[in-house]
Amino acid sequence: MPDSSDIDNALVAKLLADATLMLLTPDGVFLDEAGASMVTGGNATRFVIVSLVEEHDEAVFGRRAIEDALYLVEARLLSTTAGATANGKAAGARIDALLEDQPLTVAGYTWMTTHREARSTPRVEVDDADPTIRWYRRGGHYRVQHSL
Amino acid sequence: MIKSGRNGSVMYDPAGVTPVALIARTSWKASFKTDYIDVTCFGDVNKVKVPGLPDIAGSGDGFWDSTNVVLFAAASATTPGKLKLVPNTTEATFFASGLAYLSADIDVPVSGAPGVSFSWVAAGAFVWAP
Repeated sequence: MPDSSDIDNALVAKLLADATLMLLTPDGVFLDEAGASMVTGGNATRFVIVSLVEEHDEAVFGRRAIEDALYLVEARLLSTTAGATANGKAAGARIDALLEDQPLTVAGYTWMTTHREARSTPRVEVDDADPTIRWYRRGGHYRVQHSL
Repeated sequence: MIKSGRNGSVMYDPAGVTPVALIARTSWKASFKTDYIDVTCFGDVNKVKVPGLPDIAGSGDGFWDSTNVVLFAAASATTPGKLKLVPNTTEATFFASGLAYLSADIDVPVSGAPGVSFSWVAAGAFVWAP
């Protein structure tokens, strides 16, 4: 039985491997929670977050047949970083170009679809710890389905 | 013994001899309902009926799988194939089987996997084993 987490990892790896996206969000791509900047080692201020929002499996007689996952894939840029507004917009567009209807190859699975179901909201978020800080967010909820 | 339906199986052979599993099936149903003939007579205190013949038919669901399109070939067949329905393959000696005609439907939603449903009617003696 293939490892479902490999789908998560493949999604992160696909985004990380794109040089254009990494110019816009150089601190990296993280699963669920941002870590230290992959460039500076300091606080990440321009990055992409991938979160599994929901997942369900479809069974056929005798086995699991389909893994159906919804991911939030979102660029987050601190408002004080250079070109945050424009870069956030460009990063969201780049994420969509990389994912919408694009195959996501994972060992042990057959890719079925990757498509956006909704844009993510809000586009501007006030930081919980420091209300003077704004985060610009761009991305969407992407449906990713693989069969076994 | 009560067992899960997870290991059910739908098997079919268009030649009517040795059924093999149809893949990506998710459910099957079979009805063995018998029609009853009204033979109520003058003086009976209630209606009286005698059994006629069972009308055996059923249906099922699953997913479209391009590696196995037997179901759609069966739907246009002019001769019946052998259908075998197994509630649980871990008790493979318990099954219903017989010659049957099949019909098929496909449902392709934009947001999910294409579904394939089928219905069947007996075309010969359809019996339970054991």
